[in-house]
Amino acid sequence: MMINKRRGRLAAAAVVMATTLGMTAACGGGGEETAGGGSSSAPAEKITLTLQTFGGGTNFGYKAAVEKWNAEHPNIQVKYNNLTPDFENTYWPQMLNWLQAGKGAGDVIGIDEGGMGLAKARPQFFTDLSQYGLLNRQNDFPAWKWENGINAEGKLFALGTDVGGMSVCYRKDLFEKAGLPTDREEVAKLWPTWDDFIATGQKFQEKVTDVKFVDGLNTWFNVVLSQEAAKNGNISYYTKDNQLAVETNPAVKAAFDFAVKVKQAGISAKLRNFQDPWLAGMRKGAFATVGCPGWMLGVVQGTVTEDGKNADAGKGQWDVATVPGGSGNWGGSWLAVPKQTKHPKEAAELLNYLTSPEAQLMAFKEGGNLPSTIPAQDSPELQNAVNEWFSNAPIGKIFGPSVKSLPPIYLGEKHSQTKAEVENVILGMDDGSIPVDQAWQRFISEAKKVAEG
Amino acid sequence: MTTIAHAGRQRRAHARPSRRDPFAATPLTKAALLFTIFLSVFPLYWMVVIASRTTAQAVDVPPPLLPGGNLGENIARVFATEDAHFVTGMTNSLIVSSTVTLSVVAISTLAGFAFARLRFRGRKLLLGSILLTMMVPIQQMGIVPLYQLMVNLEWTGTLQAVILPFLLNGFGVFLMTQYTEQAVPMELVEAARVDGASTMRIYWNVVLPAVRPGMAVLALQTFMLNWNEFMWPLIVLTPDNPTVQTSIAFLTGQHTTDYALIFTGTALSVLPLLVVFIVFGRQIVGGLMEGAVKA
Amino acid sequence: MSLNVDTGRVRRAPTPPRGSRHAGRKPPGSGLLARFDLRVTPYVLISPYFLLFAVFGFFPLAFTLWTSFQKYELAGEARFTGLDNYVKLMGDADFWNAVVNTVGIFILSTIPQLILALLLANALNKRIRGRLFFRLGVLIPLVTSVVAVAVVFTQLYGRDYGMINWVLGFFGVDNIAWQNEKWSSWLAIATMVDWRWTGYNAIIYLAAMQTIPKDLYEAASIDGATPRRQFWQITVPMLRPVIIFTVFVSTIGGLTLFAEPVLFNNGTMSGGSTGQFQTVAMYIVEKGFRQFEYGYAATVAWMLFVLILIGVLLNYSLVRRIGGGR
Repeated sequence: MMINKRRGRLAAAAVVMATTLGMTAACGGGGEETAGGGSSSAPAEKITLTLQTFGGGTNFGYKAAVEKWNAEHPNIQVKYNNLTPDFENTYWPQMLNWLQAGKGAGDVIGIDEGGMGLAKARPQFFTDLSQYGLLNRQNDFPAWKWENGINAEGKLFALGTDVGGMSVCYRKDLFEKAGLPTDREEVAKLWPTWDDFIATGQKFQEKVTDVKFVDGLNTWFNVVLSQEAAKNGNISYYTKDNQLAVETNPAVKAAFDFAVKVKQAGISAKLRNFQDPWLAGMRKGAFATVGCPGWMLGVVQGTVTEDGKNADAGKGQWDVATVPGGSGNWGGSWLAVPKQTKHPKEAAELLNYLTSPEAQLMAFKEGGNLPSTIPAQDSPELQNAVNEWFSNAPIGKIFGPSVKSLPPIYLGEKHSQTKAEVENVILGMDDGSIPVDQAWQRFISEAKKVAEG
Repeated sequence: MTTIAHAGRQRRAHARPSRRDPFAATPLTKAALLFTIFLSVFPLYWMVVIASRTTAQAVDVPPPLLPGGNLGENIARVFATEDAHFVTGMTNSLIVSSTVTLSVVAISTLAGFAFARLRFRGRKLLLGSILLTMMVPIQQMGIVPLYQLMVNLEWTGTLQAVILPFLLNGFGVFLMTQYTEQAVPMELVEAARVDGASTMRIYWNVVLPAVRPGMAVLALQTFMLNWNEFMWPLIVLTPDNPTVQTSIAFLTGQHTTDYALIFTGTALSVLPLLVVFIVFGRQIVGGLMEGAVKA
Repeated sequence: MSLNVDTGRVRRAPTPPRGSRHAGRKPPGSGLLARFDLRVTPYVLISPYFLLFAVFGFFPLAFTLWTSFQKYELAGEARFTGLDNYVKLMGDADFWNAVVNTVGIFILSTIPQLILALLLANALNKRIRGRLFFRLGVLIPLVTSVVAVAVVFTQLYGRDYGMINWVLGFFGVDNIAWQNEKWSSWLAIATMVDWRWTGYNAIIYLAAMQTIPKDLYEAASIDGATPRRQFWQITVPMLRPVIIFTVFVSTIGGLTLFAEPVLFNNGTMSGGSTGQFQTVAMYIVEKGFRQFEYGYAATVAWMLFVLILIGVLLNYSLVRRIGGGR
């Protein structure tokens, strides 16, 4: 092959193109907000605050609240970025990277209960909210929710958003197909205990073969764990002095054993919660029930309606019934202001607003996220709430009575990492890659690996 | 595609006049090639199909096989999805890949010239050391200290963080050394010297014109490798200032099941290179092939 | 792009830019300046590379070594722990699992890829109408970005709604959960790698094939060698240098595989519930940037280097034997 002129020209063209592009480098990139200068409550210059959250569907349920804020604060505009449905595997590790690097975290960030142990132990990452007068919020919150927002140095760094609560979301149409009752009162009567729940699932599966009764083991493992934890000293994977407790805490074994039962009953759709196929399965109706803390209502509704784009999709298809085994507290989050923010005052103001009873009720309306503030919990708005999309389910009646008595579960500094690892075992058992009889051993060894780090 | 294995059998009983020409393709070869093309193009085609449909249709069974009518709407949605920073990602990737390509080509042709056609002490040793470093995936191996370095320089989230570590490319030096040895005869360099040309002048007037095809191949490969870099940008960049690859990854994270949106973003991210490829296809294939045998 | 440094083929000489009219002119800047130019300029020319190497090559590698002797806490102090990390690594089943996965996926992708590329190149080397069309066609996956490939293929491999399972359904195969088993996830990931790179390698092989003199084949034909025999006895041995090059590149690429398996599992580093397809590169990121054990991640990084070294040497010695050890 000979060198020919054309190829030479190509190279020249490439260089020219590259140079032109290289020159645009001067104007592109960066993406830094210009600092708003002195921070006063009504800055003269327009600033943008970034709010970063996680979770599926409507996640924190802040759409309406943020719109309202933006309308009222033309100079402090809020960008609401929900980064990913997955807290343990994606959101939190990435957030820790950014907190550590001093760049990348938003001005206000959401932290799941599982990340709070670590967040508390790293005061250097977060702004002290007492500087901005937020200590006056103490009376709004139950003691445990408030205290969990105080870090190792005794400083207030986070305020609570929502709490867990527990129910079962179910597909009425699929229940009907299986010849089961569809009315929520009668459905609740199907499963006074967890064994009844499984028996119902088996009955369901006799009639319906193309759809599974539950979404996957992991959701239900977490439901039962949150219930059992409340009965076993309010701890989960770690004791209150941060010792690994997976072997000693009966709650963990009980939840694990329940997962085994679900597995053996053959009623699982084997979908990993908060991941793609699970969300797709929710939309396509691949399973009939999912364990529903308050915020999960928003995950279901938001997913099925494609974030409200098809607001009527699946409307009236789902309903909410009470859960076997009593109330539980799975999930619930806090908001914090990373130290790296350029606008700590405005960010604290936004945080204060978003955790206010008013905004919490808006979130409750939007995504079912149960308010953590006492005034919101007591309000008739909550107590009488009905969810139209979920077949007009009286969610105020379902969640309201227990919301104030939800037990605070101690989660430990390494909870999030531990959760990610042990849940892999539950998932492995679900999809068959880990034999049931080896799963418990593996569960413990994975937890130990994280704990011993 | 294993049928290609039999493609060589032209001497079937009913072979046509091509029997005399063992280099002509048999129908079987053609069929195998067409099938390969089908496999090559299908995923791209299907990407466009999903990009032109609604999200609900994306998970239909049987899957949709023909484009729908939502492409325009989906494209508008991608650009309207602020938190994906898609446009920033595209611009950033162009900037990063071009800068890296330009520097790698410059650094490599300079060093390649020196190693191939200049005499200096330690030449063999230094060239050998470069060959050794080719085996070290520095950006992966050194990810922890590189990250700490960027944190200390407060460069995380910036473009220089994804440019600088990639300016180093032992493969480029090696390639250009090889190529210069082939394309620039020693006599030519010496003649220019006798003419009184300085080393830099020789580089500019003699070497560069001769090694252009090699440069083009190196540029193409560097650009593509860099355009596709994923691990390091994922670690060191933030979602508000991504490269195109991390932008798509963040998009899939944020809008998990909005397949129409994700696929549209993905299709758009492929488009620029695809257009360049189709427009310059002849030159790219030619350049690649020439570079491949020369070096 | 072969690895043999001196093939001795000197190409045509481009005309010197300056004609001989200048021959009589006295070289300018002779004396000190010229000597300086001869002595020093070569080092100036290679210095950019070595300067960059010092900062972004040598420093990270040396520091990785130092880091690997330490135990880190997130945003906390580092402690010198000597060889503890290495000792721990030797008994770390997750690490070895990642090694097995990496090597497994590498073998599963590289061998078929290179063989297919060879066959494809052979087919492309035939006289055929629409030559450019075919060449462009096989090369098109190369310009598709890696994330795009992963996104599209992950969807194609979906358990419930994926097209591949749908097609397999016609043959009576039940829906396969591709992510769940080692064999299936490896296969899926290998196809992503192969889809992108087979055409590229084929074009490189094709280029090399075209330099093989046709009379070699003609002579073989006269001797009665079948085309298949010609392919293995003439084509492949003649391509050896190029094959070595592609194996070398695939080895480094394959052993540092990252994007495809990460995106195959929702962007997480775990590579499936039991780490079925967690590669060593993913393990480094998981340890370093998900669990923040920088020291341990650095240890794994060094082992990745060792792995690549072994891989390159092993492949090199294997491929060298192609075509009867010429």
